[in-house]
Amino acid sequence: MTDPDHDLEQALAALRPRPPGPAVLARLARDLDAPVSARGPIIAWSAGLSALAAAFVAAFLFLGFRGEVEAPAYQLVRADQSPADVQFYRPVRLADGSFVRPVRVRWDDTTRWEDPRSNTRLINYRPNDQFALLPLETN
Amino acid sequence: MSDAHADQDWRAWFAENGARLRLIARQWTRSEADADDVVQEAFVRFWKHQRHLPGNPNALVVTSIRRAALDLLRRSDRRSVREQAVGADMETVSWFEPEADPRLQSLADSLKLLPPEQREVVVLKVWGDLTFDQIGEQLSISPNTAASRWRYAMEALRKHITVRTHD
Repeated sequence: MTDPDHDLEQALAALRPRPPGPAVLARLARDLDAPVSARGPIIAWSAGLSALAAAFVAAFLFLGFRGEVEAPAYQLVRADQSPADVQFYRPVRLADGSFVRPVRVRWDDTTRWEDPRSNTRLINYRPNDQFALLPLETN
Repeated sequence: MSDAHADQDWRAWFAENGARLRLIARQWTRSEADADDVVQEAFVRFWKHQRHLPGNPNALVVTSIRRAALDLLRRSDRRSVREQAVGADMETVSWFEPEADPRLQSLADSLKLLPPEQREVVVLKVWGDLTFDQIGEQLSISPNTAASRWRYAMEALRKHITVRTHD
Protein backbone atom coordinates (compact mmCIF):
# COMPACT_ATOMS: atom_id res chain seq x y z
CA MET A 1 0.00 0.00 0.00
CA THR A 2 1.55 3.28 -1.06
CA ASP A 3 1.41 6.47 0.95
CA PRO A 4 -0.68 8.99 -0.99
CA ASP A 5 1.24 11.83 0.63
CA HIS A 6 4.61 10.44 -0.30
CA ASP A 7 4.97 12.37 -3.56
CA LEU A 8 3.87 15.58 -1.93
CA GLU A 9 6.28 15.06 0.93
CA GLN A 10 9.06 14.40 -1.54
CA ALA A 11 8.20 17.61 -3.34
CA LEU A 12 8.25 19.53 -0.08
CA ALA A 13 11.63 18.07 0.81
CA ALA A 14 12.93 19.28 -2.52
CA LEU A 15 12.24 22.89 -1.55
CA ARG A 16 15.36 24.69 -0.38
CA PRO A 17 14.88 26.89 2.67
CA ARG A 18 16.76 30.14 2.52
CA PRO A 19 19.90 29.97 4.63
CA PRO A 20 20.65 32.45 7.38
CA GLY A 21 22.44 35.55 6.25
CA PRO A 22 26.14 36.29 6.71
CA ALA A 23 25.36 38.36 9.76
CA VAL A 24 24.22 35.22 11.58
CA LEU A 25 27.40 33.43 10.60
CA ALA A 26 29.44 36.36 11.84
CA ARG A 27 27.65 36.32 15.18
CA LEU A 28 28.05 32.55 15.46
CA ALA A 29 31.75 32.90 14.70
CA ARG A 30 32.02 35.46 17.47
CA ASP A 31 30.36 33.05 19.91
CA LEU A 32 31.89 29.78 18.80
CA ASP A 33 35.24 30.57 17.23
CA ALA A 34 38.52 31.61 18.70
CA PRO A 35 38.62 29.84 22.04
CA VAL A 36 41.78 31.82 22.79
CA SER A 37 39.99 35.10 22.53
CA ALA A 38 37.09 33.63 24.44
CA ARG A 39 39.44 32.79 27.24
CA GLY A 40 40.53 36.39 27.44
CA PRO A 41 37.40 37.71 29.13
CA ILE A 42 37.28 34.65 31.36
CA ILE A 43 40.85 35.20 32.45
CA ALA A 44 40.20 38.90 32.89
CA TRP A 45 37.12 38.21 34.99
CA SER A 46 38.95 35.60 37.02
CA ALA A 47 41.86 37.94 37.60
CA GLY A 48 39.53 40.76 38.54
CA LEU A 49 37.56 38.63 40.95
CA SER A 50 40.74 37.23 42.45
CA ALA A 51 42.12 40.71 42.94
CA LEU A 52 38.87 41.79 44.52
CA ALA A 53 38.89 38.82 46.86
CA ALA A 54 42.51 39.51 47.76
CA ALA A 55 41.65 43.13 48.48
CA PHE A 56 38.83 42.05 50.77
CA VAL A 57 41.11 39.65 52.61
CA ALA A 58 43.82 42.29 52.91
CA ALA A 59 41.35 44.85 54.16
CA PHE A 60 39.95 42.39 56.65
CA LEU A 61 43.38 41.45 57.94
CA PHE A 62 44.48 45.06 58.03
CA LEU A 63 41.45 46.22 59.93
CA GLY A 64 41.62 43.22 62.19
CA PHE A 65 45.28 43.86 62.87
CA ARG A 66 44.65 47.49 63.55
CA GLY A 67 41.80 46.57 65.84
CA GLU A 68 44.06 44.41 67.94
CA VAL A 69 46.92 46.89 68.23
CA GLU A 70 45.20 50.18 68.56
CA ALA A 71 43.14 50.96 71.61
CA PRO A 72 39.61 52.05 71.01
CA ALA A 73 39.50 55.78 70.55
CA TYR A 74 36.76 56.44 73.05
CA GLN A 75 35.81 60.01 73.63
CA LEU A 76 34.03 61.26 76.69
CA VAL A 77 30.62 62.48 75.63
CA ARG A 78 28.82 62.73 78.97
CA ALA A 79 29.56 62.71 82.70
CA ASP A 80 26.92 62.61 85.39
CA GLN A 81 27.14 62.69 89.15
CA SER A 82 24.17 61.87 91.25
CA PRO A 83 23.25 64.05 94.24
CA ALA A 84 25.13 63.01 97.33
CA ASP A 85 23.30 61.09 99.99
CA VAL A 86 24.74 62.37 103.30
CA GLN A 87 23.99 60.61 106.51
CA PHE A 88 25.01 62.10 109.87
CA TYR A 89 25.30 59.87 112.86
CA ARG A 90 25.38 60.57 116.53
CA PRO A 91 28.60 62.02 117.86
CA VAL A 92 30.91 59.53 119.38
CA ARG A 93 33.72 59.94 121.87
CA LEU A 94 37.07 58.71 120.83
CA ALA A 95 39.67 57.12 123.09
CA ASP A 96 41.56 60.40 123.45
CA GLY A 97 38.44 62.09 124.81
CA SER A 98 37.61 64.12 121.69
CA PHE A 99 34.26 63.97 120.06
CA VAL A 100 33.57 63.30 116.35
CA ARG A 101 30.44 62.97 114.26
CA PRO A 102 30.46 60.06 111.80
CA VAL A 103 29.30 61.05 108.34
CA ARG A 104 28.54 58.74 105.48
CA VAL A 105 28.34 60.16 101.94
CA ARG A 106 27.16 58.12 98.96
CA TRP A 107 26.89 59.15 95.31
CA ASP A 108 27.29 57.72 91.84
CA ASP A 109 29.56 58.79 89.01
CA THR A 110 28.47 57.84 85.50
CA THR A 111 30.56 58.58 82.45
CA ARG A 112 29.67 57.74 78.87
CA TRP A 113 32.32 57.23 76.19
CA GLU A 114 31.89 56.69 72.49
CA ASP A 115 34.17 55.53 69.68
CA PRO A 116 32.85 57.14 66.50
CA ARG A 117 34.92 54.83 64.24
CA SER A 118 33.32 51.66 65.46
CA ASN A 119 30.17 53.31 66.80
CA THR A 120 30.67 51.60 70.13
CA ARG A 121 29.80 52.99 73.56
CA LEU A 122 31.25 52.49 76.95
CA ILE A 123 29.30 53.44 80.07
CA ASN A 124 31.27 53.54 83.23
CA TYR A 125 29.13 53.47 86.41
CA ARG A 126 30.94 53.88 89.67
CA PRO A 127 29.14 54.02 93.00
CA ASN A 128 30.95 55.90 95.74
CA ASP A 129 30.61 55.36 99.44
CA GLN A 130 32.79 57.33 101.83
CA PHE A 131 32.80 57.45 105.58
CA ALA A 132 34.37 60.27 107.56
CA LEU A 133 34.60 61.54 111.11
CA LEU A 134 33.95 65.22 111.56
CA PRO A 135 35.73 66.60 114.62
CA LEU A 136 33.45 68.35 117.08
CA GLU A 137 34.73 71.10 119.23
CA THR A 138 33.51 71.04 122.75
CA ASN A 139 33.65 73.92 125.18
CA MET B 1 20.50 16.23 10.04
CA SER B 2 23.85 14.63 10.53
CA ASP B 3 25.26 13.90 13.92
CA ALA B 4 27.29 16.68 15.42
CA HIS B 5 30.51 15.01 16.39
CA ALA B 6 32.73 16.54 18.96
CA ASP B 7 35.54 17.14 16.52
CA GLN B 8 33.33 18.48 13.74
CA ASP B 9 33.58 22.09 12.71
CA TRP B 10 30.46 24.04 13.52
CA ARG B 11 30.63 25.79 10.16
CA ALA B 12 30.30 22.54 8.26
CA TRP B 13 27.40 21.40 10.40
CA PHE B 14 25.67 24.75 10.18
CA ALA B 15 26.22 24.98 6.43
CA GLU B 16 24.39 21.69 6.09
CA ASN B 17 21.58 22.39 8.54
CA GLY B 18 21.34 26.14 9.05
CA ALA B 19 18.70 26.71 6.42
CA ARG B 20 16.45 24.06 7.91
CA LEU B 21 16.93 25.43 11.39
CA ARG B 22 15.97 28.87 10.17
CA LEU B 23 12.81 27.58 8.50
CA ILE B 24 11.86 25.84 11.74
CA ALA B 25 12.57 28.98 13.72
CA ARG B 26 10.50 30.97 11.25
CA GLN B 27 7.39 29.04 12.32
CA TRP B 28 7.48 30.58 15.76
CA THR B 29 8.87 34.03 15.03
CA ARG B 30 7.41 37.18 13.59
CA SER B 31 10.19 38.18 11.25
CA GLU B 32 13.28 37.03 9.46
CA ALA B 33 15.45 38.97 11.88
CA ASP B 34 13.80 37.28 14.85
CA ALA B 35 14.32 33.90 13.22
CA ASP B 36 18.00 34.68 12.77
CA ASP B 37 18.29 35.67 16.42
CA VAL B 38 16.55 32.50 17.52
CA VAL B 39 18.73 30.31 15.32
CA GLN B 40 21.85 31.95 16.63
CA GLU B 41 20.86 31.55 20.27
CA ALA B 42 19.61 28.00 19.85
CA PHE B 43 22.54 26.84 17.77
CA VAL B 44 25.13 28.27 20.15
CA ARG B 45 23.39 26.56 23.06
CA PHE B 46 23.20 23.30 21.15
CA TRP B 47 26.77 23.38 19.92
CA LYS B 48 28.28 24.30 23.24
CA HIS B 49 26.23 22.17 25.57
CA GLN B 50 24.14 19.56 23.77
CA ARG B 51 25.93 18.19 20.74
CA HIS B 52 27.85 15.70 22.84
CA LEU B 53 24.66 14.14 24.10
CA PRO B 54 23.85 10.74 22.66
CA GLY B 55 21.23 10.19 20.00
CA ASN B 56 19.98 12.13 17.07
CA PRO B 57 20.39 15.86 17.55
CA ASN B 58 17.20 16.78 15.72
CA ALA B 59 14.92 16.85 18.71
CA LEU B 60 17.49 18.68 20.81
CA VAL B 61 17.97 21.37 18.22
CA VAL B 62 14.26 21.78 17.64
CA THR B 63 13.63 21.98 21.37
CA SER B 64 16.32 24.60 21.69
CA ILE B 65 14.88 26.60 18.80
CA ARG B 66 11.35 26.44 20.13
CA ARG B 67 12.45 27.50 23.59
CA ALA B 68 14.44 30.42 22.22
CA ALA B 69 11.56 31.45 19.97
CA LEU B 70 9.02 31.36 22.78
CA ASP B 71 11.35 33.36 25.00
CA LEU B 72 11.72 35.93 22.27
CA LEU B 73 7.97 36.10 21.74
CA ARG B 74 7.41 36.68 25.43
CA ARG B 75 9.96 39.45 25.43
CA SER B 76 8.53 40.92 22.23
CA ASP B 77 5.04 41.04 23.69
CA ARG B 78 6.33 43.54 26.20
CA ARG B 79 8.05 45.66 23.62
CA SER B 80 6.84 48.66 21.72
CA VAL B 81 4.54 48.90 18.76
CA ARG B 82 7.60 48.92 16.56
CA GLU B 83 7.82 45.20 16.93
CA GLN B 84 4.23 44.62 15.92
CA ALA B 85 4.84 45.70 12.36
CA VAL B 86 7.39 43.01 11.65
CA GLY B 87 4.71 40.38 11.27
CA ALA B 88 4.04 41.85 7.87
CA ASP B 89 7.04 40.13 6.34
CA MET B 90 5.24 36.84 6.90
CA GLU B 91 3.47 37.52 3.64
CA THR B 92 6.21 39.22 1.69
CA VAL B 93 9.45 37.39 2.43
CA SER B 94 9.93 34.02 0.83
CA TRP B 95 11.09 31.21 3.04
CA PHE B 96 12.58 29.27 0.16
CA GLU B 97 14.99 29.82 -2.65
CA PRO B 98 13.22 30.54 -5.95
CA GLU B 99 12.31 27.42 -7.88
CA ALA B 100 12.35 27.06 -11.62
CA ASP B 101 9.74 24.34 -11.42
CA PRO B 102 6.37 26.15 -11.18
CA ARG B 103 4.88 23.26 -9.23
CA LEU B 104 7.58 23.51 -6.60
CA GLN B 105 7.26 27.28 -6.51
CA SER B 106 3.53 26.92 -6.06
CA LEU B 107 4.12 24.47 -3.24
CA ALA B 108 6.50 26.87 -1.54
CA ASP B 109 3.97 29.66 -1.77
CA SER B 110 1.14 27.44 -0.59
CA LEU B 111 2.93 26.34 2.53
CA LYS B 112 2.58 29.80 4.00
CA LEU B 113 -1.16 29.70 3.47
CA LEU B 114 -1.63 26.74 5.77
CA PRO B 115 -2.96 27.35 9.27
CA PRO B 116 0.03 27.74 11.62
CA GLU B 117 -0.75 24.60 13.59
CA GLN B 118 -0.70 22.52 10.40
CA ARG B 119 2.27 24.31 8.93
CA GLU B 120 4.49 23.72 11.95
CA VAL B 121 3.74 20.00 11.82
CA VAL B 122 4.73 19.92 8.15
CA VAL B 123 7.92 21.84 8.77
CA LEU B 124 8.91 19.71 11.75
CA LYS B 125 8.27 16.51 9.84
CA VAL B 126 9.86 17.43 6.52
CA TRP B 127 12.69 19.74 7.56
CA GLY B 128 13.02 18.81 11.20
CA ASP B 129 12.99 15.13 10.30
CA LEU B 130 10.90 14.35 13.37
CA THR B 131 8.40 11.56 13.83
CA PHE B 132 4.82 12.24 14.86
CA ASP B 133 5.74 11.12 18.37
CA GLN B 134 8.56 13.65 18.52
CA ILE B 135 6.41 16.36 16.98
CA GLY B 136 3.79 15.65 19.60
CA GLU B 137 6.36 16.09 22.33
CA GLN B 138 7.61 19.34 20.86
CA LEU B 139 4.16 20.85 20.48
CA SER B 140 2.58 19.26 23.55
CA ILE B 141 -0.01 17.46 21.49
CA SER B 142 -0.70 13.79 20.97
CA PRO B 143 0.95 11.93 18.10
CA ASN B 144 -2.50 11.30 16.67
CA THR B 145 -3.23 15.02 16.65
CA ALA B 146 0.09 15.65 14.91
CA ALA B 147 -0.70 13.03 12.31
CA SER B 148 -4.16 14.44 11.84
CA ARG B 149 -2.78 17.93 11.27
CA TRP B 150 -0.34 16.49 8.79
CA ARG B 151 -3.14 14.86 6.81
CA TYR B 152 -5.18 18.07 6.79
CA ALA B 153 -2.10 19.97 5.65
CA MET B 154 -1.41 17.56 2.79
CA GLU B 155 -4.99 17.80 1.70
CA ALA B 156 -4.91 21.58 1.79
CA LEU B 157 -1.61 21.77 -0.07
CA ARG B 158 -2.96 19.53 -2.75
CA LYS B 159 -5.97 21.81 -3.18
CA HIS B 160 -3.80 24.92 -3.28
CA ILE B 161 -1.53 23.47 -5.91
CA THR B 162 -4.46 22.34 -8.01
CA VAL B 163 -6.10 25.74 -7.89
CA ARG B 164 -2.86 27.58 -8.68
CA THR B 165 -2.03 25.21 -11.49
CA HIS B 166 -5.43 25.81 -13.03
CA ASP B 167 -5.03 29.58 -12.59
